[in-house]
Amino acid sequence: MKIQLLIAAAAVASGQDFVRDVRPILSDNCFACHGPDDSKRMAGVRLDTSDGVKTAASKIVAKLTHANPNLRMPPASTGRVLNAAQIDVLKRWVEGGTVFRTHWAYETPVRPAVPVARGRWARNAIDNFVLARLEQEKLAPSAEADRITLLRRLSLDLTGLPPTVAEVDAFLRDKSSNAYEKQVDRLLASPHYGEKVALHWLDLARYADTHGFHIDSHRDMWPWRDWVIRAFNTNMPFDRFTIEQLAGDLLPNATVEQKIASGFNRNHMINYEGGAIPEEYLVEYVADRAETTSTVWMAMTIGCARCHDHKYDPIKQRDYYRLFAFFNGVKEKGLDGRDGNADPLLKLHTPEQKRRDDFLSMRIKGLEAQVADAKVKPELEKFEQETPRVYAGLPGLKQGLLAQYEMDGTVTDHSGGYRHATVRRGEAAMVLTANGKATTFTTPSHLTFFDPKWGNEFTITAWLIQGHHEPQTIYRAPGLEVWWDESQPLPHLRRGAHVHVAIDGAHIRTRDRLVQNEQYHLAISRTRDGGATIRVNAAAVPVVREDAVKLRPAPQFEIGESADTEGRNGFRGRIADLRLYSRALAVEDVSYLAVHHRLTRMLDVPAKTRPRELTARLKEYFLENAAPLEMKAAWGELKRLRLEKAALDDEIANTMIMSELDKPRDTFILTRGDYRNHGEKVTAATPGALPPLPSDVNVDRLALARWLVDAKHPLTARVAVNRFWQNSFGLGLVKSSENFGTQGEPPSHPELLDWLSTEFVASKWDVKALHKTMVMSATYRQTSKASAALIERDPENRLLARMSRFRLQAELVRDNALAASGLLNAKIGGRSTYPYQPAGIWEEIARGEIFSAQVYKESAGEDLYRRGMYWFWKRTAPPASLTTFDAPDREKCVARRSVTNTPLQALVLMNDPAYVEAARALATQVMNEKDPAKRAATAFRRVTGRIPEARETAVLTALAAKQLRRYQSDPAGAKALLAVGALKLDSRIPAAELAAWTNVASVILNMDEAVTKE
Amino acid sequence: MSIYETRRQLIGKGAKAVGLAALANLLERDGAAAAMAGLPHHAPTAKRVIWLHQSGGPSQLDLFDYKPQLKKHHGTELPGSVRMGQRITGMTSGQASFPVASSIFKFEQAGEAGIWMSEVIPHHKKIADEITVIKTVHTDAINHDPAITFIQSGSQQPGRPSMGAWVSYGLGSETRELPAYVVLLSQQASVNADQPLFSRLWGSGFLPSRYQGVRLRGGKEPVLYLADPPGVSRTDRREMLDAVGALNKMREEAYHDPEIDTRVQQYEMAYKMQASVPELTDFSKEPESTFALYGDDARKAGTYAANCLLARRLVERGVRFVQLYHKGWDQHGNLPRDLALQCKASDQAAAALVLDLKQRGMLKDTLVVWGGEFGRTVYCQGRLTETDYGRDHHPRNFAMWMAGGGIKQGFQLGETDDFSYNITADPVHIHDIQATLLHCLGIDHTRLTYKFQGRWFRLTDVHGDVVKKVLA
Repeated sequence: MKIQLLIAAAAVASGQDFVRDVRPILSDNCFACHGPDDSKRMAGVRLDTSDGVKTAASKIVAKLTHANPNLRMPPASTGRVLNAAQIDVLKRWVEGGTVFRTHWAYETPVRPAVPVARGRWARNAIDNFVLARLEQEKLAPSAEADRITLLRRLSLDLTGLPPTVAEVDAFLRDKSSNAYEKQVDRLLASPHYGEKVALHWLDLARYADTHGFHIDSHRDMWPWRDWVIRAFNTNMPFDRFTIEQLAGDLLPNATVEQKIASGFNRNHMINYEGGAIPEEYLVEYVADRAETTSTVWMAMTIGCARCHDHKYDPIKQRDYYRLFAFFNGVKEKGLDGRDGNADPLLKLHTPEQKRRDDFLSMRIKGLEAQVADAKVKPELEKFEQETPRVYAGLPGLKQGLLAQYEMDGTVTDHSGGYRHATVRRGEAAMVLTANGKATTFTTPSHLTFFDPKWGNEFTITAWLIQGHHEPQTIYRAPGLEVWWDESQPLPHLRRGAHVHVAIDGAHIRTRDRLVQNEQYHLAISRTRDGGATIRVNAAAVPVVREDAVKLRPAPQFEIGESADTEGRNGFRGRIADLRLYSRALAVEDVSYLAVHHRLTRMLDVPAKTRPRELTARLKEYFLENAAPLEMKAAWGELKRLRLEKAALDDEIANTMIMSELDKPRDTFILTRGDYRNHGEKVTAATPGALPPLPSDVNVDRLALARWLVDAKHPLTARVAVNRFWQNSFGLGLVKSSENFGTQGEPPSHPELLDWLSTEFVASKWDVKALHKTMVMSATYRQTSKASAALIERDPENRLLARMSRFRLQAELVRDNALAASGLLNAKIGGRSTYPYQPAGIWEEIARGEIFSAQVYKESAGEDLYRRGMYWFWKRTAPPASLTTFDAPDREKCVARRSVTNTPLQALVLMNDPAYVEAARALATQVMNEKDPAKRAATAFRRVTGRIPEARETAVLTALAAKQLRRYQSDPAGAKALLAVGALKLDSRIPAAELAAWTNVASVILNMDEAVTKE
Repeated sequence: MSIYETRRQLIGKGAKAVGLAALANLLERDGAAAAMAGLPHHAPTAKRVIWLHQSGGPSQLDLFDYKPQLKKHHGTELPGSVRMGQRITGMTSGQASFPVASSIFKFEQAGEAGIWMSEVIPHHKKIADEITVIKTVHTDAINHDPAITFIQSGSQQPGRPSMGAWVSYGLGSETRELPAYVVLLSQQASVNADQPLFSRLWGSGFLPSRYQGVRLRGGKEPVLYLADPPGVSRTDRREMLDAVGALNKMREEAYHDPEIDTRVQQYEMAYKMQASVPELTDFSKEPESTFALYGDDARKAGTYAANCLLARRLVERGVRFVQLYHKGWDQHGNLPRDLALQCKASDQAAAALVLDLKQRGMLKDTLVVWGGEFGRTVYCQGRLTETDYGRDHHPRNFAMWMAGGGIKQGFQLGETDDFSYNITADPVHIHDIQATLLHCLGIDHTRLTYKFQGRWFRLTDVHGDVVKKVLA
């Protein structure tokens, strides 16, 4: 790789700096027409390269100050106007000889000399750099924060949880010189460290528990989330962390863990909107991967080059698609994810599941061979020839037969009685089903037959398919009504309904739902004693007795309804071989109709025209009923094992991973970024402005990942350390942590950034060591107390003359309330959970229907109190109590959250049941203290770590006294307040007292300090 | 006006005003939202917008785009010369045939301009002289998610700010009493046409999160977590807030962090909001004539009619952008039944809103926009019978209407071919609609920009022309 020597802070004679002062003006106002985009360059003038600037130098000032506004730059049409100060900067730059530097971020950082720091303040190199800058600015650093503040800050930064009172006390007691370092080491070793660092990573990785587009049903990527937590906890070096997430699947002999890690680039949104066009979404997925990868590792905004060359940074449209090509070989479908994860995915067996799965797979394979088509075919053909085609049922089946309708597209009575039916509503059409011919009704239909004049006994049998989810009438007759209720969601995106039978007054229904769109043989009989039976596929099924219904009069036997009535509609579905008997059929009769008679119906369809589905059914019939004994046994066993395997598959978790197609897709430059406009075909390569890949590697994702973590890569280490810095200090050294390009902000401490980056690489990408260096610095340990003057001078604290003080991020606001009140369930990892959320948030926007993640089912018990990072993340309706505190929606990669301060946040902390319950729990924790002042102080300490000042205690005890009197006179009010939340009420505590102290605890949890890292 | 003065003035306005102002404050941590420098770019004709989004894609063929000659083609194959191989969705691309389905509904002309309207929207005839119907809107997307994201944010893929966010970013709040941008969701009336919505549709994208739409819900808690817990009275809340405030002030003395004072103010505003927001959504003081106008459904929170009424109450109080959604226009099947149900639930209220604004003198500077994310195909999806048909998504032309705020009264624009399949005159792209909306608000759409990831973004991307023909 090319190494260019840095010109240390190239300050020009005029005291201005090219990177800090000049380049941003050029970039923002001139590059759109005089920058890297070859197709848009005006007048051949280029101001983004040294040569271009030299050529143009003599004309720059004249153009900027041209007397004729039509000729003045920038042109009015751009909407950009330079003010006098900016023109002055450029004038001085030209006068000074147009000193030009390649954009700093594209040059490999060189470890700068650590400035010599005067005095004893500095503890490590960070401080030397910070102090040098402060001295330039004639500022002094602030004093070290007190120990309690320090420990709370440290705990929140490294674990996201506040210190316990015992931890604070231990630290206060420890008089050893390395007491602080011991705390740092303890917290770096905490299993919650991994959670805290992972939390930031989830925003970058656009982690969510749903697919995001359209119906937005669930996915399972929590195994990947668990991997991230483990990686940080085990201090996986950042280069390995990078390689495994970008290309873990391509590592030689990739382990399960490495494959899970590769799911990083499957966290993007996935679509399965009915009617969407797969090619379009395949492009979107790949684009998201390329853009996310660029932002996360290089803070490069390559998305701008999707439609045309980048306007500001040296990224060509061609570069975009060459990077895109690295991610374009995934074995995925354009539309996927209807029922959970989308391919490719990895099953995550427990060892026991693995053993069972292997065993079942092996057995199933063996049995399948025994009943393979080739093996069965000769036997089946023989059987087919030998089976007579004529109707030859049990002799008894003619007995009591009132009418029989083949329902082969006609409604003709085949029994010989000529009792043909009439279609009153709807349209009968013949279809081939798995049993042969049937009649289908696609719209609500109504058929009339004749009055069967049944006596005590009767039977109706038919093959039926319920074709629509709405409640619908199947049969009506004098004294009889049979219907499906509304079909409801079943597992695996199916629906199903109960069959109801009302005879005279009595009303029963099947206990289980019959699956919509599946075919069943249904036999409904009344026996002599008046009892009704429902046989499904010849087996009497369990029924549930329902309240009697009043039957509507029916003059004859009918199918369906004449109109929508009583919430029921006409018949929609399929029907075949309908028979009406004047007797209760015996079980063997029904078996014959449901099993053996099927055969003749199937054979009715000549082999030549038989659909594949029907051929398969015929084979099944044969294997089940007529095959040689050994084959029959193998088939029985196969069916059983397949069911067992299906049940096992449901049990096994899976996660989405990367996996390459054998032959990757071709990648084309897409004109204007549109998936339909294929331009030039390109192959994978890294952007031209950055160092090339080594020449001897296989150009794939693995090579890309290794290239990113090459020690000489100019961006990766800088971008990473800058974000770790941002997460502890509030702002990055480069404030625009998502953009290190020319339109990003220049670093506040460029040498410090480079020192940290080179240190990070030299440490073999040791993340914990980097964190330790940061938190051990005197800079980090400063108090965040500041004079009003300092705050006015440096409101964003870019100079670091104090520590920044800022509100906790959304998840930690909640975690802290849970931890302080003792409610927190500290379990790490696993599936996401469903804490309290107001009713209807999902349902009002959701599609409903049968898909997952449409209805919010609150967790119960311990799961209500898991950390915020485990809250089930539905992209189209993320947890309101978190988004109120600026959590992003996780649709796209986010490197930095905004921090707002709004009345809605106050409403959450005051009224969200999670916080009301936490207040009660916190109050309960301190009730054993009898003295109100001590009680208040203990609660206060649990939240802030510190003992309140006397005047603070006084505010709390005064409130407690007032509230106690108030609830003593209002027991109902106390009871109502204490009923909020699922936490069991401690009934030993007088309700009025607990209610009063619940409100006191709520006040503590609502303090600014409670939600702020100081 | 300094921030401090702003706040003091607010508090001086009394409890209700300040409470509503608290909502406005969601959008600006340091007081009321200010307009961007240099805005408006020209004199606006509209101060505010109510966008009635009909989610799912209403059928232009059964509402506004009258094609009597289709009767004779009913059931015949759509000529290839009309379709010209245009892409169609995956739902009908496998269909062996594309039979033409003419509308089952009767059409009549309404108003001086003789705008054709079908029998399912009788109330619309009353506003025919107020609105401009554009029959030739077209979009780039063919399925719901990208199409609705496109019409709301100018981009088919997620990540961009929504229209309302752009407008509140550009113009700030017209009032101190409410947020600039409010979102109302209405549930569908049709049976088989449920389509999901996404919070990104009213999101702020890369704009600061204070510009995102604030969702107001019907019922007792229009804003989430607004109500105090059971057993906590207003007096209790006051006492608790006094305690919180006192403790925060003590902390501020040591830290001088202005955020602490801001938080104190936010709590005060939250407190006031708890009293005033329920008043906003309480219709009990509306006269009977209101319900006669909007229909009885307006009494039921969460219905389209109630939301139209709420939209009027919001703009009366100075809200800049009301984004209303009505789910249920996706008639792939059972169109005659479901479209009629959907219209029955919305026709009267939409017309009422226009008439109500007019009688209050507000229509002249309120822009009302009605439309979906695309139209529907002339060919039938699924089974075609004499009385039943369905229609797939059609992005190539569909109908929207606009009213008030600088839009021509009683006008129609655009012509489509005999099959309502292609535009023959005056195409209007979604970006043109967005450019026109911004134009009415006094904004040059090419100059309302925001820098993100180094690039200056705008609502209309690099496209969009103001539709001058619809401007009064």
